[in-house]
Amino acid sequence: MTEFKLPELGENIHQGDLVRLMVAPGATVAEGEPVMELETDKAVVEVPSSVSGTVKDVLVKQGEKIKVGQVIFTVENGSGGKRVESRAVASEPAKSEPRATAPTVSKTPAKAANQAASASSTTRSAAATVPSESVGSAEFRLPELGENIHQGDLVRLMISPGAQVAEGQPVMELETDKAVVEVPSSLTGIVKEVLVNQGEQIKVGQVVFTLEAGATSQPHAQQPSRADGSHDHERSTFQAAMRSEGRTEEQALPPDPPRSAPVAAFSMPLDLDRAAGVEHRGPVAAAPHVRRLARELGVDIHTVPGTGPGGRISEDDIKLYTKMLLASAVSGTGQAPATHPRQPALPDFIKWGKIERVPMRGVRRKTAEHMWEAWTSIPHVTQNDKADITELEQLRTRFGAKAQEAGGKMTVTAIALKVCASALKIFPQFNASIDMEKEEIVYKQFINIGVAVDTDRGLLVPVIREVDKKNIVELAAELTLLSKKARDKKLAPADMEGGTFTITNLGGIGGTGFSPIVNYPEVAILGLSRSSMEPVWINGKFEPRQVLPLSLSYDHRLIDGADAARFLRWIAEAFEQPFLLSVQG
Amino acid sequence: MPETSNLNIAVIGGGPGGYAAAFLAADLGMKVTLIDREQNPGGVCLYRGCIPSKALLHVAKLIDESRHAKNWGIKFGEPTIDLARLRSFKEAVVNKLTGGLGQVAKMRKVQYVRSDASFENSTTIRVARNGGGEEKLSFDRIIIATGSRPAVIPSLKLDSPRMLDSTSALDLKDVPGTLLVIGGGYIGLELGTVYAALGSKVSVVEMTAGLLPGADRDLVLPLHKRLEKSFQSILLNTTVTAVKEESNRLRVCFEGKDVKEREQVFDKVLVSVGRKPSSEISGLDRTQVRVGQRGFIQVNKHLQTDDPAIYAIGDVVGEPMLAHKASHEGRTAVEHIAGHKVAFEPNAIPAVVFTDPEIAWTGLTETQATKENREIKVAKFPWAASGRAVTIDRTDGMTKLVIDPATERVLGVGIVGAGAGELIAEGTLAIEMAALAKDVALTIHPHPTLSETVMQSAEVFFGTSTDLYRPKR
Repeated sequence: MTEFKLPELGENIHQGDLVRLMVAPGATVAEGEPVMELETDKAVVEVPSSVSGTVKDVLVKQGEKIKVGQVIFTVENGSGGKRVESRAVASEPAKSEPRATAPTVSKTPAKAANQAASASSTTRSAAATVPSESVGSAEFRLPELGENIHQGDLVRLMISPGAQVAEGQPVMELETDKAVVEVPSSLTGIVKEVLVNQGEQIKVGQVVFTLEAGATSQPHAQQPSRADGSHDHERSTFQAAMRSEGRTEEQALPPDPPRSAPVAAFSMPLDLDRAAGVEHRGPVAAAPHVRRLARELGVDIHTVPGTGPGGRISEDDIKLYTKMLLASAVSGTGQAPATHPRQPALPDFIKWGKIERVPMRGVRRKTAEHMWEAWTSIPHVTQNDKADITELEQLRTRFGAKAQEAGGKMTVTAIALKVCASALKIFPQFNASIDMEKEEIVYKQFINIGVAVDTDRGLLVPVIREVDKKNIVELAAELTLLSKKARDKKLAPADMEGGTFTITNLGGIGGTGFSPIVNYPEVAILGLSRSSMEPVWINGKFEPRQVLPLSLSYDHRLIDGADAARFLRWIAEAFEQPFLLSVQG
Repeated sequence: MPETSNLNIAVIGGGPGGYAAAFLAADLGMKVTLIDREQNPGGVCLYRGCIPSKALLHVAKLIDESRHAKNWGIKFGEPTIDLARLRSFKEAVVNKLTGGLGQVAKMRKVQYVRSDASFENSTTIRVARNGGGEEKLSFDRIIIATGSRPAVIPSLKLDSPRMLDSTSALDLKDVPGTLLVIGGGYIGLELGTVYAALGSKVSVVEMTAGLLPGADRDLVLPLHKRLEKSFQSILLNTTVTAVKEESNRLRVCFEGKDVKEREQVFDKVLVSVGRKPSSEISGLDRTQVRVGQRGFIQVNKHLQTDDPAIYAIGDVVGEPMLAHKASHEGRTAVEHIAGHKVAFEPNAIPAVVFTDPEIAWTGLTETQATKENREIKVAKFPWAASGRAVTIDRTDGMTKLVIDPATERVLGVGIVGAGAGELIAEGTLAIEMAALAKDVALTIHPHPTLSETVMQSAEVFFGTSTDLYRPKR
């Protein structure tokens, strides 16, 4: 059996909301085939499978938040046939003796894969067997030590080549940011080579030692894992810490949650599960006031590792865990949840009727945060102008076919891309950012323009790179492609990074003007509204001309009003006399 | 978060859940209206449940001990029972407590409305006006705490003064020569105990194979043995198929594999087959409140119904139908209304059967653990080894701990014996505080008391009990 875990999705993306699940138990998946759609802060992405086989268990649900590394599903008859796998172990975890039947050796990265669930006190977790590539050259890699612990200093090495190690036996002492922990071996055999030195910094996943050929690994009992991947990390930290105290995992770990709560008696069973609709996951090893504190802080107490006897959770455990979550949020996404815009208290809407509260997910939440940041940190001014695009429209119709041949559509936006790229070259302060901290202006020597795309998931802004180096037909083709990707939820986070300026076109819907919000950390954004026929005074008489309303919002810290007027006028003129592009742009 | 001090809330039902909620809301600065049919707050528990039954059980125990005293060299004559005086003692107890609650409500400036309530919409209810007629009152939030009432078996419905339910049995009109109790649950056994002490020949009939279905058998056994002596008969695996009234008697037909006499006659029959939630509130259909199949109002863990302005607590939202569960829920609901992030999430709810001996348990029971296939260790301390139990000549008791073998954490406590109800509180605290068996064993308990048995059972777990020798495990 093989597990498919959520792979890395990109820089700083640690999780996503499962929007659509495309597999079900019994289904056949092939490597590369999309198995789900995930909505991250940045985009909706299709996640392809990295395994092939028949899906056995699906361990996630639609709407759930999934973390990188979390097991999505398991497959049988898995890919490659590289496994030396004992089916008996897989199907009868409770009965069989893994020592005898699973002489497999792990060569996979540490994580949980080298641990097989075996007969544990509760039998509800499916067994994960030990995938291996070759019996004989077993490696022991530094396992996950806990959330946000990626490395440690090797304080003491307790093995040497030729030594016998047994699974569970401590092999080294590692000093992490948080504690000195003894790290137990997950393998049994004779040490062949030790690949680390005392005092060295060792990373999670790094090979610590290898075993003599023919050595066997002993998949050791693992507590059934909960859906929350981070919990497993904590468990292993806890495990490691407890082992260093000379206690076994069974003695040290908190009890597994019972399926349902205590019940008893009379005609009135003491069924906490049903009592008052309590969502009960078993008695948490924490005093009532500690449980309340967790609720106040918004922490799921079931995920908090307890440091007290029997895994008892103290007030300090809750505080420490909360701090850790905040810290990881800060270092992880560059944004602490605490920076959520403070807003005045809401009225009690229930007084006036029924309401529904819906969690703000992925794109919407990100948009809300981003807009608030931009709006509160940038002093906005919007400059309006109009461009006579009568002649441009004729050209657009004439050259439309060329764009079509290239797979694109010659839209006003496509032309605006070219126009803006030229304008940005001439007015570099519009292609810049402000660094208030260092009191510097960052001029970018590349022109990447984002285009706001309205999708059913919300506003997405794919970025077209090096716009100044592409012609209108190329830009039209690329814009068409990116818009389609955005609407098909196939934009990668990288597709939306690195913009220097943004164009937003609401002309397709209507309107005569609006004030767009600058896409921080850029300093200006151009809004296009719907063009219409207007009487224009030309040569002593009104002529019907097609006029495009332009709205430029800019960061007044960097850009003066006169510059903005000049910049926008230049753009308007470029629309009016496309030849300008060839001359100046 | 709304300004809680300005909130105007109504509590429908003045039982232990309702008045606990109302009083806390008042303490938090809310404007509170408490609505109940009775003259004072108290509800079933104080008027027709826990309180009057305990007053009577206290008397029953005294009678029993006076008879038992001859074993200790003290001989009393047969007691004469002044039923009118006993009734007035019971009523005095009820009046003192409910009157006290009325006073406390006034002091807290809780508006007490003596009325039924019906819903106009989610925030408006109709109540009887003081001087007659009706009035509509509007609130920001409403808490439903309407409780429960005795369940009836439709086929055995008989309009006769000889048919009792728990309410009329507590009225204590007379002491029948023979009394049949239908239902071997705690209400039937408690009331049966009272009537047996007062002189009735009590029989109890239970459909299942044992008294107090659901409770651990080893806890029930000492009670069963004692009741075999004080009751006329205990009929298990038996159902009542018919009750007919005939000249000053009730003829009852039984059915079941162990039945010897298919028909018997009794002076009175007490039906105690459980309780039903009182969720049929007029106008509830004008709100979004959802009532489940068994009649319980559906609430989330904050005790909030599907109608966000309406909360529900106590018996009307689910098992266990116990006063102390209701008050905890009531306070939780009010705290949630006040904007605190709270939920009803106890690790243990104690249950007590006030028979003699008493039976009490809290947290995980052995029965439940077996049902769930959970690995547990059980440590028992028989009261025969308790000095205190010997001094009161009540060694028919046992204290046991249900322990998680992995963590040695105390998950459940069960006690049978005199005063078990008072002893169980320590067990609940131990579970809520996530105490280990070691913690309990290392806590000094006063000697000689029955509370020592809790510590001693923890010592038994480690095989090092001072007072009980057990060969090494």
